[in-house]
Amino acid sequence: MRLSWPERLFNVFNYSFFTLMGLTTLLPFVNLLAKSLSSENAVVSGRVSLLPIDLQFGTYRFVLQDDAFLNALRVSVTLTLIGTALSLFVTTITAYPLSKPRLRGRKWLLLLFIFTMLFSGGLIPTYLLMHNLNLVNTLPVLFLPAMVNVYNMLIIKNYFEGLPDSLEESAKIDGAGNLRILFLIYLPLSMPVLATIALFFAVYYWNDYFNAMIYITNPSLKPMQLFLKELLAASSDFIRNAAINADAEMNTAPQSIQAASILVATVPILIVYPFLQKYFVKGVLVGSVKE
Amino acid sequence: MASREPNLLRSPRKRTSAWTSIRSEWDLYLLLVPGICFLLLFKYTPMYGISIAFQDFNIFDGMAASPWVGFEHFERLFTSSDFSLVLRNTVIISLLKLVILFPLPIIVAILLNELKNMAFKRSIQTVIYLPHFLSWIIVSGLFIDLLSVHGGIVNKWLEQLGFAPIAFFMNNDYFRSVLVATAGWKETGWSTIVYLAAFSTIDPGLYEAARMDGASRFRQIWHITLPGIAPIIVLMFILRLGSLFEAGTEQILAMYNPTVYKVSDVIGTYVYRVGMGRQEYSFTTAVGLFESVIGFILVISGNYLSRKYLKRGIW
Repeated sequence: MRLSWPERLFNVFNYSFFTLMGLTTLLPFVNLLAKSLSSENAVVSGRVSLLPIDLQFGTYRFVLQDDAFLNALRVSVTLTLIGTALSLFVTTITAYPLSKPRLRGRKWLLLLFIFTMLFSGGLIPTYLLMHNLNLVNTLPVLFLPAMVNVYNMLIIKNYFEGLPDSLEESAKIDGAGNLRILFLIYLPLSMPVLATIALFFAVYYWNDYFNAMIYITNPSLKPMQLFLKELLAASSDFIRNAAINADAEMNTAPQSIQAASILVATVPILIVYPFLQKYFVKGVLVGSVKE
Repeated sequence: MASREPNLLRSPRKRTSAWTSIRSEWDLYLLLVPGICFLLLFKYTPMYGISIAFQDFNIFDGMAASPWVGFEHFERLFTSSDFSLVLRNTVIISLLKLVILFPLPIIVAILLNELKNMAFKRSIQTVIYLPHFLSWIIVSGLFIDLLSVHGGIVNKWLEQLGFAPIAFFMNNDYFRSVLVATAGWKETGWSTIVYLAAFSTIDPGLYEAARMDGASRFRQIWHITLPGIAPIIVLMFILRLGSLFEAGTEQILAMYNPTVYKVSDVIGTYVYRVGMGRQEYSFTTAVGLFESVIGFILVISGNYLSRKYLKRGIW
C-alpha cells in the first residue's frame, strides 16, 4: 500500500522519536560505565562523557574486594531470596480461596484486604509496632510486613478466576481436595503470572531502601541500596577509605567508585530482566485487562 | 471424605448454614490464615496506633500510660509554618507530576502502537521498560552524575551552547523539574504497558472498516484508538488520584538535600525527618494521618464520580 506523504512524515517522526527516547534511556548508564572505567585524572578533570578515557579496571577490582560492599551485597541477596519466596507463597495461598465465589464471607474478606490499600496507619505507628515487637535491627523486619501485597494478590486472584471451572470439577470427581487442586493443578497452569509476581517481589526487595533506612542501623545488616545511599552522600567510611586507598595504590576517583558500585548493584536486574520480560508483559496484560 | 463430596459439588445449591459450608471447605479457610494474620498484625495494628496522634506519646510510658491531649497536635499542625510549607510542596509536586506525567505514557503508547517494524518496536519496549526496575537510589546516582556541575554531560552541553552551568540538585528553581524529569525517565515506558494491553482489546475490524472508508491514521487514532482505551485511562486516573498526596516520598528522600528542602520537603519526607529524627512521634503521626485521610477521600470520591458518570470504577 502506498503511503500518503503526511503518513510518511509521521513515520519518520515516530521512528526518530523512539530512537531518541531509547538513547535517552540508555545515556545515563553509558555515562556511568565510562566514568567507572576511566582514570582518576580524567574523571576529576571532568573530561569523561560517553567513552572511557585511559581505560582501567582497578575500580571494579577495588569495589569487588571491599568487605562492606560485599556484605551489603550478601544481605541484599539473602533478603531478596527469602523475601520473594515467602511473599510469593503467602500471597498465592491467600489469592486462591479469595478467587472462589463459593467461599462464604468472601466479600468481607476481600474488603478487609482492599481497605489496607486505601488507608494505612502511617510511618510512625508502624515504626512503633516494629519497635514493640523487637524487630528493629533484624532482617525479618524487612520482609515480614511485606508478606502479603494486596495489589499482587489481586492480580493472581484474577488469573485464577480466569482458569476454567471444569478443571476443578473434574479433579474433585477424582477425589482431590482443595489443597491438591491448588498445588497440582492451578499452580502449574499459572506460571506466567507467578513469574511476573515473583519478579515484582524480587525487584521490591532488591530495591527497598526506605525500610532499611528506618529499621536498620547495624552496619552488618545494611542492604545494598542503603549502602549505596550512604555512598552517594559521600559520608560513609567506604568512600573516605576509597579516596585514601585510591590515591595511594590505584588510579581511580571516588566518583568512579560510586559509578562502579551503582553498576554492580544493577547487574542482577539486568541479568534476570530479559528472561522474564515475556512473562511480565503477559502477566500484566492478564492483571490489568480483567478489570 | 467420600461422604462430603456431594456437599462440595452442591449441585442444587441448597441453603446450607454458614457453619456447615465453612466446615466443608475448612482447607480453603486454612489457606487464608497466614495472610489474615499478617494483615491484622502489620496493617491493622498500626491503624490502631494512630491514636497516639491524640496523646502526648512517650515511648517509655507506651500507649497505655501516655496522657491524652485531644486535638492539640492538629491545632499545632494547622498553625505551623512548617506544615503549610510541606503541604504546599506536596500539592505542587503532585500536580506537576500529574499534569505532565499522566498524559505522557498515553501518547507514547499510541505512538508505539503505530510502529510497524516489530523488531524495532520490541527493542524499544525492552529499553524503555528497564528503568522501572531500578531503585530510586540507583536513579538518583545516575542523574547526580549526569547533571553534576563538575563534568556532568548535561552541563557540558549547556556550556557548549553558551549557557552558564546549573547545579540542578542544589538549585531551588530547578529541583522540582529534576524530580518530574527523573520520575518521567523512570516510569513513562513502564506505564505504557497498561495502555498497550488495552489496545489488544480493540476489535481490529473497526480499523479495517475505517480504512475502507478512507480514514487516515490520525483519524483512526482519534476515532478508534482513543475511545477504545478511554475506560483504562479513567481507571488509571482514579488510581493516580489516590496517590495524589504521595508526591514520591521515596524519590525525594533519595534525591534531596538541605539546600532544596524549601521546595521539596513533602509530607512523607517531613514525617520521616521530624518523626524519626527528632522523635516527635505524636505530632508527626497527626501529620501522617492527615495525609492518609486525604488520600482515602480522594480515591473514594474519584471512584464514586467515575461510577456515577462513567459507569465504571475500581470496585
